[in-house]
Amino acid sequence: MDSLEQQRDCPPAEGLVPTPWRIVSRREEVADGSVFTWSIRPEVGEAASYRPGQFNMLYAFGVGEVPISISGDGAEPGTLMHTLRAVGRVTRAMQDLKEGDAIGVRGPFGTAWPMDTAYGRDLVLVAGGIGLAPLRPVVCHAMRNPGAFRRVFLLIGCRDPQSELFRDDVIAWSRRPHLQVEVTVDRGGPAWRGHVGVVTKRVQRADFDPSDAVAFLCGPEPMMRFAVLALQQRGVSDDRIFVSMERNMQCGVGTCGHCQWGRYILCRDGPVLRYDEVADIFDVREL
Amino acid sequence: MDLVDQLAQHAFCADMAPQVRERLAACAREERFEPGAFLLRQNAPAMTFYLILEGQVEIKIAGTAVGHAPLETLGKDDAVGWSWFLPPHRWHFDAVARAPTRVLAFDADCLRQAMQADSAVGYAITRGLLEVVVQRLQAARMQLSDLYGQP
Repeated sequence: MDSLEQQRDCPPAEGLVPTPWRIVSRREEVADGSVFTWSIRPEVGEAASYRPGQFNMLYAFGVGEVPISISGDGAEPGTLMHTLRAVGRVTRAMQDLKEGDAIGVRGPFGTAWPMDTAYGRDLVLVAGGIGLAPLRPVVCHAMRNPGAFRRVFLLIGCRDPQSELFRDDVIAWSRRPHLQVEVTVDRGGPAWRGHVGVVTKRVQRADFDPSDAVAFLCGPEPMMRFAVLALQQRGVSDDRIFVSMERNMQCGVGTCGHCQWGRYILCRDGPVLRYDEVADIFDVREL
Repeated sequence: MDLVDQLAQHAFCADMAPQVRERLAACAREERFEPGAFLLRQNAPAMTFYLILEGQVEIKIAGTAVGHAPLETLGKDDAVGWSWFLPPHRWHFDAVARAPTRVLAFDADCLRQAMQADSAVGYAITRGLLEVVVQRLQAARMQLSDLYGQP
Protein backbone atom coordinates (compact mmCIF):
# COMPACT_ATOMS: atom_id res chain seq x y z
CA MET A 1 0.00 0.00 0.00
CA ASP A 2 1.17 3.53 -0.78
CA SER A 3 2.47 5.58 2.09
CA LEU A 4 0.46 8.61 3.17
CA GLU A 5 3.08 10.80 1.47
CA GLN A 6 2.63 8.90 -1.79
CA GLN A 7 -1.14 9.14 -1.54
CA ARG A 8 -0.91 12.88 -0.92
CA ASP A 9 1.15 13.29 -4.10
CA CYS A 10 -2.00 12.68 -6.11
CA PRO A 11 -3.08 16.09 -7.44
CA PRO A 12 -6.68 17.16 -6.83
CA ALA A 13 -9.06 16.92 -9.73
CA GLU A 14 -9.16 19.99 -11.92
CA GLY A 15 -11.63 22.60 -10.77
CA LEU A 16 -11.90 21.33 -7.22
CA VAL A 17 -9.49 23.73 -5.51
CA PRO A 18 -10.84 27.20 -4.80
CA THR A 19 -8.66 30.20 -5.54
CA PRO A 20 -8.68 33.28 -3.32
CA TRP A 21 -10.67 36.32 -4.48
CA ARG A 22 -11.53 39.63 -2.81
CA ILE A 23 -14.85 41.38 -2.56
CA VAL A 24 -14.32 44.66 -4.41
CA SER A 25 -17.76 46.08 -3.80
CA ARG A 26 -21.01 45.08 -2.18
CA ARG A 27 -24.46 46.43 -2.96
CA GLU A 28 -27.71 45.64 -1.22
CA GLU A 29 -30.48 44.80 -3.67
CA VAL A 30 -33.34 44.89 -1.16
CA ALA A 31 -33.84 47.04 1.91
CA ASP A 32 -33.30 44.30 4.49
CA GLY A 33 -29.98 43.32 2.91
CA SER A 34 -31.05 39.71 2.36
CA VAL A 35 -30.22 39.97 -1.35
CA PHE A 36 -26.89 41.53 -2.21
CA THR A 37 -24.52 41.77 -5.12
CA TRP A 38 -20.77 41.37 -4.97
CA SER A 39 -18.17 42.43 -7.44
CA ILE A 40 -15.17 40.19 -6.85
CA ARG A 41 -11.59 40.11 -8.17
CA PRO A 42 -9.00 37.31 -8.06
CA GLU A 43 -6.06 37.80 -5.71
CA VAL A 44 -3.76 36.49 -8.41
CA GLY A 45 -4.16 36.50 -12.16
CA GLU A 46 -7.20 37.30 -14.24
CA ALA A 47 -10.84 36.41 -13.82
CA ALA A 48 -11.70 33.46 -16.02
CA SER A 49 -13.95 34.19 -18.96
CA TYR A 50 -17.51 32.97 -18.65
CA ARG A 51 -20.69 32.73 -20.65
CA PRO A 52 -24.09 34.06 -19.55
CA GLY A 53 -25.91 31.44 -17.49
CA GLN A 54 -22.85 29.81 -15.96
CA PHE A 55 -22.16 29.71 -12.24
CA ASN A 56 -19.26 29.70 -9.79
CA MET A 57 -18.85 27.87 -6.52
CA LEU A 58 -18.29 30.55 -3.91
CA TYR A 59 -16.60 29.54 -0.67
CA ALA A 60 -17.02 31.27 2.67
CA PHE A 61 -13.84 30.11 4.34
CA GLY A 62 -14.51 27.68 7.13
CA VAL A 63 -18.25 27.64 6.48
CA GLY A 64 -18.92 26.13 3.09
CA GLU A 65 -19.55 26.54 -0.62
CA VAL A 66 -22.60 27.54 -2.62
CA PRO A 67 -23.29 27.62 -6.37
CA ILE A 68 -24.04 31.18 -7.47
CA SER A 69 -24.79 32.33 -11.01
CA ILE A 70 -22.71 35.05 -12.56
CA SER A 71 -24.86 38.15 -12.85
CA GLY A 72 -22.40 40.65 -14.32
CA ASP A 73 -22.39 42.21 -17.73
CA GLY A 74 -18.91 41.02 -18.65
CA ALA A 75 -17.86 44.57 -19.44
CA GLU A 76 -15.84 45.10 -16.26
CA PRO A 77 -12.47 43.50 -16.94
CA GLY A 78 -10.95 41.55 -14.10
CA THR A 79 -14.04 41.34 -11.95
CA LEU A 80 -17.08 39.11 -11.73
CA MET A 81 -20.48 39.92 -10.31
CA HIS A 82 -22.63 37.60 -8.23
CA THR A 83 -26.02 38.22 -6.67
CA LEU A 84 -26.77 36.20 -3.55
CA ARG A 85 -29.77 35.68 -1.36
CA ALA A 86 -29.13 34.88 2.30
CA VAL A 87 -31.17 31.76 2.87
CA GLY A 88 -28.89 29.17 4.45
CA ARG A 89 -25.85 28.85 6.68
CA VAL A 90 -23.30 29.66 3.97
CA THR A 91 -25.10 32.56 2.33
CA ARG A 92 -25.91 34.05 5.75
CA ALA A 93 -22.21 33.94 6.57
CA MET A 94 -21.55 35.62 3.22
CA GLN A 95 -24.07 38.30 4.09
CA ASP A 96 -21.74 39.38 6.90
CA LEU A 97 -18.67 39.73 4.65
CA LYS A 98 -17.50 43.22 3.79
CA GLU A 99 -15.62 44.88 0.96
CA GLY A 100 -12.01 43.71 1.06
CA ASP A 101 -12.85 40.34 2.64
CA ALA A 102 -11.58 37.20 0.96
CA ILE A 103 -13.60 34.32 -0.44
CA GLY A 104 -12.75 31.21 -2.41
CA VAL A 105 -13.96 30.75 -5.97
CA ARG A 106 -14.15 27.74 -8.28
CA GLY A 107 -15.51 27.89 -11.76
CA PRO A 108 -17.09 28.93 -13.99
CA PHE A 109 -19.15 25.78 -14.40
CA GLY A 110 -22.12 24.55 -16.34
CA THR A 111 -23.91 25.27 -19.56
CA ALA A 112 -24.75 28.75 -20.82
CA TRP A 113 -27.77 30.42 -22.39
CA PRO A 114 -27.58 29.60 -26.13
CA MET A 115 -27.28 33.18 -27.35
CA ASP A 116 -26.59 32.20 -30.94
CA THR A 117 -29.94 30.38 -31.11
CA ALA A 118 -31.69 33.65 -30.37
CA TYR A 119 -29.70 35.97 -32.65
CA GLY A 120 -31.96 37.64 -35.19
CA ARG A 121 -35.11 36.45 -33.44
CA ASP A 122 -37.42 37.71 -30.72
CA LEU A 123 -35.87 36.83 -27.38
CA VAL A 124 -38.27 36.33 -24.48
CA LEU A 125 -36.68 36.36 -21.04
CA VAL A 126 -38.90 35.21 -18.18
CA ALA A 127 -37.38 35.84 -14.76
CA GLY A 128 -38.89 35.08 -11.38
CA GLY A 129 -37.43 36.46 -8.17
CA ILE A 130 -33.68 36.01 -7.97
CA GLY A 131 -33.92 34.17 -11.28
CA LEU A 132 -33.28 37.55 -12.85
CA ALA A 133 -29.63 37.31 -11.77
CA PRO A 134 -28.57 34.56 -14.23
CA LEU A 135 -30.46 36.39 -17.00
CA ARG A 136 -28.87 39.76 -16.28
CA PRO A 137 -25.77 38.98 -18.42
CA VAL A 138 -28.12 38.23 -21.33
CA VAL A 139 -29.88 41.56 -20.93
CA CYS A 140 -26.53 43.35 -20.66
CA HIS A 141 -25.42 41.63 -23.84
CA ALA A 142 -28.60 42.79 -25.57
CA MET A 143 -27.99 46.33 -24.31
CA ARG A 144 -24.47 46.37 -25.75
CA ASN A 145 -25.55 44.72 -29.01
CA PRO A 146 -28.92 46.23 -29.94
CA GLY A 147 -28.94 44.61 -33.36
CA ALA A 148 -28.19 41.10 -32.16
CA PHE A 149 -31.80 40.19 -31.47
CA ARG A 150 -34.87 41.38 -33.35
CA ARG A 151 -36.59 42.40 -30.12
CA VAL A 152 -36.05 41.50 -26.49
CA PHE A 153 -38.92 40.99 -24.03
CA LEU A 154 -37.87 40.94 -20.41
CA LEU A 155 -40.77 39.70 -18.26
CA ILE A 156 -39.99 39.91 -14.56
CA GLY A 157 -42.05 38.53 -11.70
CA CYS A 158 -41.37 39.22 -8.06
CA ARG A 159 -43.10 39.00 -4.74
CA ASP A 160 -43.72 42.70 -4.10
CA PRO A 161 -42.28 46.08 -5.09
CA GLN A 162 -39.75 45.91 -2.25
CA SER A 163 -38.19 42.74 -3.61
CA GLU A 164 -37.63 43.98 -7.14
CA LEU A 165 -33.98 43.34 -8.04
CA PHE A 166 -31.59 45.54 -10.05
CA ARG A 167 -34.11 48.37 -9.88
CA ASP A 168 -31.84 51.00 -11.45
CA ASP A 169 -30.89 48.59 -14.22
CA VAL A 170 -34.52 47.74 -14.91
CA ILE A 171 -35.36 51.43 -15.25
CA ALA A 172 -32.45 51.94 -17.64
CA TRP A 173 -33.34 48.83 -19.64
CA SER A 174 -36.98 49.89 -19.99
CA ARG A 175 -35.85 53.09 -21.71
CA ARG A 176 -34.23 51.19 -24.57
CA PRO A 177 -36.51 50.94 -27.62
CA HIS A 178 -35.56 47.40 -28.59
CA LEU A 179 -36.10 46.12 -25.07
CA GLN A 180 -39.64 45.73 -23.73
CA VAL A 181 -39.57 45.36 -19.97
CA GLU A 182 -42.61 44.30 -17.95
CA VAL A 183 -42.43 43.92 -14.18
CA THR A 184 -45.27 42.28 -12.31
CA VAL A 185 -45.60 41.69 -8.58
CA ASP A 186 -47.69 39.17 -6.68
CA ARG A 187 -48.68 41.79 -4.12
CA GLY A 188 -48.71 45.45 -4.97
CA GLY A 189 -49.23 48.15 -2.42
CA PRO A 190 -51.35 51.25 -3.02
CA ALA A 191 -48.28 53.11 -4.35
CA TRP A 192 -47.27 50.47 -6.91
CA ARG A 193 -47.96 51.60 -10.48
CA GLY A 194 -46.82 48.49 -12.34
CA HIS A 195 -48.60 45.22 -13.05
CA VAL A 196 -50.05 43.05 -10.28
CA GLY A 197 -50.39 39.37 -11.08
CA VAL A 198 -48.34 36.43 -12.20
CA VAL A 199 -45.51 36.71 -14.70
CA THR A 200 -47.09 34.06 -16.93
CA LYS A 201 -49.82 36.56 -17.74
CA ARG A 202 -47.16 38.79 -19.24
CA VAL A 203 -46.07 35.83 -21.39
CA GLN A 204 -49.63 35.56 -22.67
CA ARG A 205 -49.80 39.25 -23.52
CA ALA A 206 -46.30 40.16 -24.74
CA ASP A 207 -46.14 41.15 -28.38
CA PHE A 208 -43.47 38.69 -29.57
CA ASP A 209 -43.70 36.56 -32.68
CA PRO A 210 -44.23 33.00 -31.36
CA SER A 211 -43.20 31.45 -34.66
CA ASP A 212 -39.76 33.02 -34.46
CA ALA A 213 -39.07 33.51 -30.76
CA VAL A 214 -36.63 31.93 -28.34
CA ALA A 215 -37.37 31.92 -24.62
CA PHE A 216 -34.98 31.74 -21.66
CA LEU A 217 -36.65 30.97 -18.30
CA CYS A 218 -35.18 31.23 -14.83
CA GLY A 219 -37.04 31.19 -11.54
CA PRO A 220 -38.95 28.88 -9.21
CA GLU A 221 -39.91 25.64 -10.94
CA PRO A 222 -43.70 26.16 -10.61
CA MET A 223 -43.28 29.54 -12.28
CA MET A 224 -41.26 28.00 -15.09
CA ARG A 225 -43.84 25.23 -15.50
CA PHE A 226 -46.64 27.74 -16.00
CA ALA A 227 -44.42 29.92 -18.18
CA VAL A 228 -43.70 26.94 -20.43
CA LEU A 229 -47.44 26.28 -20.72
CA ALA A 230 -48.07 29.91 -21.63
CA LEU A 231 -45.30 29.84 -24.24
CA GLN A 232 -46.64 26.60 -25.70
CA GLN A 233 -50.14 28.07 -25.88
CA ARG A 234 -48.67 31.03 -27.76
CA GLY A 235 -47.07 28.60 -30.21
CA VAL A 236 -43.42 28.65 -29.18
CA SER A 237 -41.97 25.22 -29.90
CA ASP A 238 -40.35 23.23 -27.10
CA ASP A 239 -36.94 23.23 -28.79
CA ARG A 240 -36.82 27.03 -28.53
CA ILE A 241 -37.57 27.13 -24.80
CA PHE A 242 -34.62 26.97 -22.41
CA VAL A 243 -34.85 26.56 -18.65
CA SER A 244 -32.27 27.02 -15.91
CA MET A 245 -32.53 24.21 -13.38
CA GLU A 246 -31.13 24.14 -9.90
CA ARG A 247 -30.37 21.28 -7.55
CA ASN A 248 -27.88 20.69 -4.77
CA MET A 249 -24.72 21.47 -6.73
CA GLN A 250 -21.60 20.68 -4.74
CA CYS A 251 -18.57 19.59 -6.75
CA GLY A 252 -19.34 21.61 -9.88
CA VAL A 253 -17.52 19.14 -12.12
CA GLY A 254 -20.06 16.33 -12.47
CA THR A 255 -18.32 13.99 -10.04
CA CYS A 256 -20.18 13.86 -6.74
CA GLY A 257 -23.70 13.34 -8.09
CA HIS A 258 -25.46 15.55 -5.53
CA CYS A 259 -27.15 17.54 -8.27
CA GLN A 260 -28.40 14.55 -10.21
CA TRP A 261 -31.76 15.22 -11.86
CA GLY A 262 -32.91 12.12 -13.64
CA ARG A 263 -30.37 11.39 -16.35
CA TYR A 264 -28.66 14.76 -15.89
CA ILE A 265 -25.91 15.94 -13.57
CA LEU A 266 -26.93 19.57 -13.44
CA CYS A 267 -23.61 21.16 -12.55
CA ARG A 268 -22.17 19.65 -15.73
CA ASP A 269 -25.17 19.11 -18.06
CA GLY A 270 -27.02 22.18 -16.78
CA PRO A 271 -28.04 24.51 -15.37
CA VAL A 272 -29.33 25.65 -18.79
CA LEU A 273 -31.24 22.90 -20.59
CA ARG A 274 -33.43 22.82 -23.66
CA TYR A 275 -37.01 22.15 -22.67
CA ASP A 276 -37.79 19.44 -25.24
CA GLU A 277 -34.89 17.42 -23.85
CA VAL A 278 -36.21 17.56 -20.28
CA ALA A 279 -39.97 17.76 -20.81
CA ASP A 280 -40.48 14.15 -19.65
CA ILE A 281 -38.86 14.83 -16.26
CA PHE A 282 -39.67 18.51 -15.86
CA ASP A 283 -42.56 18.10 -13.42
CA VAL A 284 -41.65 14.78 -11.86
CA ARG A 285 -41.55 15.54 -8.17
CA GLU A 286 -39.76 12.30 -7.25
CA LEU A 287 -36.60 13.44 -9.05
CA MET B 1 -64.18 49.58 -37.04
CA ASP B 2 -67.62 48.30 -36.02
CA LEU B 3 -68.42 46.38 -32.87
CA VAL B 4 -68.36 42.98 -34.59
CA ASP B 5 -64.86 43.66 -35.93
CA GLN B 6 -63.68 44.82 -32.52
CA LEU B 7 -65.11 41.67 -30.96
CA ALA B 8 -63.37 39.52 -33.54
CA GLN B 9 -60.02 41.00 -32.55
CA HIS B 10 -60.49 40.53 -28.83
CA ALA B 11 -58.95 37.42 -27.24
CA PHE B 12 -62.19 36.58 -25.40
CA CYS B 13 -64.05 36.18 -28.70
CA ALA B 14 -61.26 34.85 -30.88
CA ASP B 15 -62.68 31.32 -31.13
CA MET B 16 -66.34 32.32 -31.35
CA ALA B 17 -68.45 31.74 -34.45
CA PRO B 18 -69.32 34.91 -36.43
CA GLN B 19 -73.03 34.57 -35.63
CA VAL B 20 -72.22 34.41 -31.90
CA ARG B 21 -70.12 37.56 -32.17
CA GLU B 22 -72.96 39.28 -34.00
CA ARG B 23 -75.35 38.36 -31.20
CA LEU B 24 -72.86 39.68 -28.62
CA ALA B 25 -72.40 42.90 -30.56
CA ALA B 26 -76.13 43.55 -30.24
CA CYS B 27 -75.62 43.84 -26.46
CA ALA B 28 -72.43 45.94 -26.65
CA ARG B 29 -71.41 49.57 -26.71
CA GLU B 30 -68.00 51.19 -26.55
CA GLU B 31 -67.12 53.11 -23.38
CA ARG B 32 -64.12 55.04 -22.12
CA PHE B 33 -62.90 55.46 -18.56
CA GLU B 34 -60.47 58.08 -17.32
CA PRO B 35 -57.87 57.14 -14.69
CA GLY B 36 -59.56 56.74 -11.31
CA ALA B 37 -62.99 55.99 -12.76
CA PHE B 38 -64.76 52.88 -11.47
CA LEU B 39 -65.87 50.18 -13.89
CA LEU B 40 -67.25 48.11 -11.01
CA ARG B 41 -67.98 48.96 -7.41
CA GLN B 42 -67.81 46.39 -4.65
CA ASN B 43 -71.36 45.24 -3.66
CA ALA B 44 -73.08 47.32 -6.35
CA PRO B 45 -75.48 45.55 -8.75
CA ALA B 46 -73.56 43.71 -11.47
CA MET B 47 -75.18 44.93 -14.67
CA THR B 48 -72.30 45.12 -17.15
CA PHE B 49 -69.62 42.88 -18.57
CA TYR B 50 -66.47 44.49 -19.98
CA LEU B 51 -63.85 43.52 -22.52
CA ILE B 52 -60.80 45.79 -22.42
CA LEU B 53 -59.70 47.10 -25.80
CA GLU B 54 -56.90 49.27 -24.45
CA GLY B 55 -55.76 50.76 -21.16
CA GLN B 56 -55.24 49.32 -17.72
CA VAL B 57 -57.67 48.38 -14.97
CA GLU B 58 -56.99 47.41 -11.36
CA ILE B 59 -59.09 44.83 -9.51
CA LYS B 60 -59.10 46.08 -5.93
CA ILE B 61 -60.58 45.27 -2.59
CA ALA B 62 -61.53 47.95 -0.13
CA GLY B 63 -61.18 47.81 3.63
CA THR B 64 -58.03 45.72 3.94
CA ALA B 65 -55.13 46.38 6.31
CA VAL B 66 -53.03 47.70 3.42
CA GLY B 67 -55.72 50.04 2.16
CA HIS B 68 -57.38 49.95 -1.24
CA ALA B 69 -54.86 47.44 -2.55
CA PRO B 70 -54.75 46.13 -6.11
CA LEU B 71 -55.18 42.35 -6.37
CA GLU B 72 -54.52 42.18 -10.09
CA THR B 73 -54.05 44.48 -13.04
CA LEU B 74 -55.81 43.83 -16.31
CA GLY B 75 -55.25 45.23 -19.77
CA LYS B 76 -55.89 44.78 -23.47
CA ASP B 77 -57.57 41.45 -24.29
CA ASP B 78 -58.75 40.91 -20.70
CA ALA B 79 -62.34 40.52 -19.49
CA VAL B 80 -63.64 42.33 -16.43
CA GLY B 81 -66.44 41.07 -14.20
CA TRP B 82 -68.37 37.82 -14.10
CA SER B 83 -70.73 38.45 -11.17
CA TRP B 84 -73.43 39.50 -13.66
CA PHE B 85 -73.58 35.85 -14.73
CA LEU B 86 -74.75 34.28 -11.47
CA PRO B 87 -77.03 35.45 -8.65
CA PRO B 88 -76.97 37.57 -6.58
CA HIS B 89 -75.58 39.70 -9.44
CA ARG B 90 -73.47 41.95 -7.23
CA TRP B 91 -69.80 42.84 -7.69
CA HIS B 92 -67.40 41.32 -5.20
CA PHE B 93 -64.53 43.71 -5.93
CA ASP B 94 -63.81 47.14 -7.33
CA ALA B 95 -62.42 47.63 -10.81
CA VAL B 96 -60.78 51.02 -11.34
CA ALA B 97 -59.18 52.43 -14.48
CA ARG B 98 -55.52 53.19 -13.87
CA ALA B 99 -54.87 54.59 -17.34
CA PRO B 100 -57.21 55.96 -20.01
CA THR B 101 -59.17 52.83 -20.82
CA ARG B 102 -61.39 51.87 -23.72
CA VAL B 103 -63.76 48.92 -23.36
CA LEU B 104 -66.63 47.11 -24.92
CA ALA B 105 -69.41 47.19 -22.31
CA PHE B 106 -72.16 44.56 -22.53
CA ASP B 107 -75.58 44.92 -20.96
CA ALA B 108 -75.92 41.94 -18.60
CA ASP B 109 -79.69 41.50 -19.08
CA CYS B 110 -79.22 41.44 -22.83
CA LEU B 111 -76.38 38.91 -22.54
CA ARG B 112 -78.31 36.59 -20.24
CA GLN B 113 -81.34 36.68 -22.55
CA ALA B 114 -79.15 35.90 -25.55
CA MET B 115 -77.52 33.02 -23.71
CA GLN B 116 -80.89 31.53 -22.74
CA ALA B 117 -82.38 31.99 -26.18
CA ASP B 118 -79.49 30.44 -28.12
CA SER B 119 -77.49 27.59 -26.64
CA ALA B 120 -74.56 28.29 -29.01
CA VAL B 121 -74.30 31.80 -27.58
CA GLY B 122 -74.73 30.45 -24.05
CA TYR B 123 -72.01 27.86 -24.53
CA ALA B 124 -69.57 30.29 -26.14
CA ILE B 125 -69.88 32.87 -23.39
CA THR B 126 -69.85 30.30 -20.59
CA ARG B 127 -66.74 28.70 -22.06
CA GLY B 128 -65.04 32.08 -22.40
CA LEU B 129 -65.92 33.02 -18.83
CA LEU B 130 -64.73 29.66 -17.54
CA GLU B 131 -61.37 30.20 -19.22
CA VAL B 132 -61.09 33.57 -17.54
CA VAL B 133 -62.08 32.15 -14.16
CA VAL B 134 -59.60 29.26 -14.47
CA GLN B 135 -56.77 31.62 -15.39
CA ARG B 136 -57.59 33.95 -12.50
CA LEU B 137 -57.88 31.02 -10.08
CA GLN B 138 -54.52 29.62 -11.19
CA ALA B 139 -52.97 33.05 -10.91
CA ALA B 140 -54.45 33.60 -7.44
CA ARG B 141 -53.09 30.24 -6.28
CA MET B 142 -49.64 31.09 -7.60
CA GLN B 143 -49.76 34.49 -5.92
CA LEU B 144 -50.84 32.88 -2.65
CA SER B 145 -48.12 30.24 -2.80
CA ASP B 146 -45.42 32.89 -2.35
CA LEU B 147 -43.22 31.42 -5.08
CA TYR B 148 -40.46 33.95 -4.59
CA GLY B 149 -40.38 33.83 -0.79
CA GLN B 150 -37.70 32.25 1.34
CA PRO B 151 -37.36 28.52 0.53
